[in-house]
Amino acid sequence: MERREVLRLLGSAVALSALPSEALAVIQQASAQVAGSTGGLKTLDPHQNATVTTIAELIIPATDTPGAKGAKVNEFIDLLLTEWYEPAETKQFLAGLADVDALGKKKFSADFVDCTPAQQTELLKQLDAEAMDFAAEQKRAVAKSSASPLQQTAPTPSNFFYTMKKLTLTGYYTSEIGFSQELGKSIIPPSHAGCAPLQEVAR
Amino acid sequence: MSMEMQTPNVQTEKTNTYDAIVIGSGITGGWAAKELTEKGLRTLVLEAGQTIVPTRDYVEHVPTWEVKFRGMRDRQYDKVHRERQKHIGDEWNAKFFVDDLENPYTTPPDQPYLFLRGRHVGGRSVMWGRQSYRWSDIDFEGNLKDGIATDWPIRYKDVEPWYDYVEDFIGVSGQAENLPQLPDSKFLPPMELNCAEIHMRDVIAQKFPERRLTIGRTAILTQPHRGRAACHYCGPCARGCITRSYFSSLHSTLPAAEATGKLTMRPFSVVHSLIFDAKNRRITGVRVIDAQTKQTVEFHAKVVFLCASTLESARILMNSATPEFSTGLANSSGQLGRNLMDHMMGSGASGIIPGHEDREQIGNRPNGIYVPRFRNIKEKHPGFLRGYGFQGGGGRDDWGRGSETAGFGTDFKHMLRQPGPWHFTFASFAECLSNPDNRMELDKDKVDAWGIPAMKISCKWRDNELALFKDAQQTAAEMLDAAGAKDIALRNSPSAPGEGIHEMGSARMGNDPKTSVLNRWNQAHDIKNLFVTDGSFMVSSACQNPSLTYMAMTARACDYAVKQMKRNDL
Repeated sequence: MERREVLRLLGSAVALSALPSEALAVIQQASAQVAGSTGGLKTLDPHQNATVTTIAELIIPATDTPGAKGAKVNEFIDLLLTEWYEPAETKQFLAGLADVDALGKKKFSADFVDCTPAQQTELLKQLDAEAMDFAAEQKRAVAKSSASPLQQTAPTPSNFFYTMKKLTLTGYYTSEIGFSQELGKSIIPPSHAGCAPLQEVAR
Repeated sequence: MSMEMQTPNVQTEKTNTYDAIVIGSGITGGWAAKELTEKGLRTLVLEAGQTIVPTRDYVEHVPTWEVKFRGMRDRQYDKVHRERQKHIGDEWNAKFFVDDLENPYTTPPDQPYLFLRGRHVGGRSVMWGRQSYRWSDIDFEGNLKDGIATDWPIRYKDVEPWYDYVEDFIGVSGQAENLPQLPDSKFLPPMELNCAEIHMRDVIAQKFPERRLTIGRTAILTQPHRGRAACHYCGPCARGCITRSYFSSLHSTLPAAEATGKLTMRPFSVVHSLIFDAKNRRITGVRVIDAQTKQTVEFHAKVVFLCASTLESARILMNSATPEFSTGLANSSGQLGRNLMDHMMGSGASGIIPGHEDREQIGNRPNGIYVPRFRNIKEKHPGFLRGYGFQGGGGRDDWGRGSETAGFGTDFKHMLRQPGPWHFTFASFAECLSNPDNRMELDKDKVDAWGIPAMKISCKWRDNELALFKDAQQTAAEMLDAAGAKDIALRNSPSAPGEGIHEMGSARMGNDPKTSVLNRWNQAHDIKNLFVTDGSFMVSSACQNPSLTYMAMTARACDYAVKQMKRNDL
């Protein structure tokens, strides 16, 4: 059975219940393979996962240390979308992800993952500029507000790429790869000093 | 050293009788346990929560990638069980704070109050901020001079030897400054200021002669002390400390008490009420609900020390009401539960300090700077009484600045490998004036998980606190400006009352039994063998972190109580 076919069937409970048990076993096996191929993700579908993974790696690429992909930032983002965010926030994030494809189609007639690396970079530059405008606007709003965090009940407006970049950085630098390899840090510092010459990160 | 649970399994009056009972095992309960046992009293410590075993429960060295949400907290769990407690702690140490569903309290809708609590052996001394400052006579004389509330029944000379005594045991690192408003402690070597802080210290010394920047005075060891190791600068003290380098009951006072062989520690012991013998005018014992079995057990002793924390101790006394003391035991003054204070936080300012880019701070210093109070010391300020201190300090931005910085890709990643610019923050802790309408009562309609009436807390900031808040924004900004800071931003997030976790005052001391609950020895005016030595006794709040004063006053009260017992005068 084709993977595409399995996915189509999995999307329909009616189709599943109508299948004979033998066929069901085949589907379950194939379904496990599909899940395995996306690292057991619970919210991101394979296309969304590919998009998230590609964007994250463009933000923090592999250099002399692994990048976002190596640090499995996509799995961290999937966990947050599944268990941390409110359903409405997750929906908003996934809609933002779809908007990236819409932008790719508009400018280059292709989904983001199907654009060339140069096209992807160009798209990201546009998204990043918008995110920085958003961040500046947020900063102005916070400076104006005198409400204590206790009183702030309204949800903060969001910008997809601002959130995506923030989650990528958090997922990467809080990973062992980001913390130990990239930043050269250790849980127990080898020494301490108040005002010392800047050290090159050793690796 | 482990604190094994010793549950008396024969519940007769004889086996459940001790010389002394201490209610609470936090920063003051631990001190009461140490002092009373070392003076020979067989002492039972009742702790409402569970035992903490450092080798099992401490999480300060658990890396971020081993916690589920990488330090972003368990948001969905918080929403249900930690609606209030989520304002404190982190994803690692959330377990050291109470479950809000088990421990409810109510407030008027327009007066949010944050009651942030730990219930376990060691109490909040396990997660405390460790900042340790003496008070001065400017604080002890303030109420008398300003005509606020009532006068303190003690002065600095009364508590000074006890500051010496507890500092010698706990270890406080800091820099002597010889200031009248902030007497020096018996210091271990100070931690080092970083580059931005050295710069700021020098600018302040030059341009603001009435102000001083010094390194925070903290109950963290900078050299080995009494069998405990020096700090290794891992950083997150509030998650525990396997080397016992900061002071907590678990690390210091409770092991000392256990070493006497006179200590019985009973965790899972929720105190319901005190048992009062109206004829002999004495507390004869304590009614406890076992937190696990929910059975009621009684324990008896000659003297009781209430160290359950400010509001909890008042709640226990209110829940022990008798026909004579209808509003709460030892409350002939009517002041029990009133005069609640905390420090107002959330003002100050921050900015970027240009330069020093070729230098950095190494290690995670678990301490900041301190600018002791400078208002109303020599000159009287026309706009407000008292003052505030600043904590905070300097540091270089880390990768977190990336989400606010344009760019992505290889150059962006290399940029984030290096630290960002130096920033500096002054964060205020302002004095709160005593006011009888800031108070706690029992809520008749709500009980906690053990059926004990919940608290109803009514507390708000008033004009003087709000005036201090505004002033602290301006004075912080002018220091930053003088230091050449860029992008100066005023801090403008008023804390909710309680959020400072310096709640105090709900059973104040005083010379007059008509206007105070306790006498100058932390002894109830109405009941000789009852002492309250947690923050309840405070008559004013000053602006310094109060735990050091609580510890000194606890040791002092224990000394007095045992002397009185020996004279058969208790």
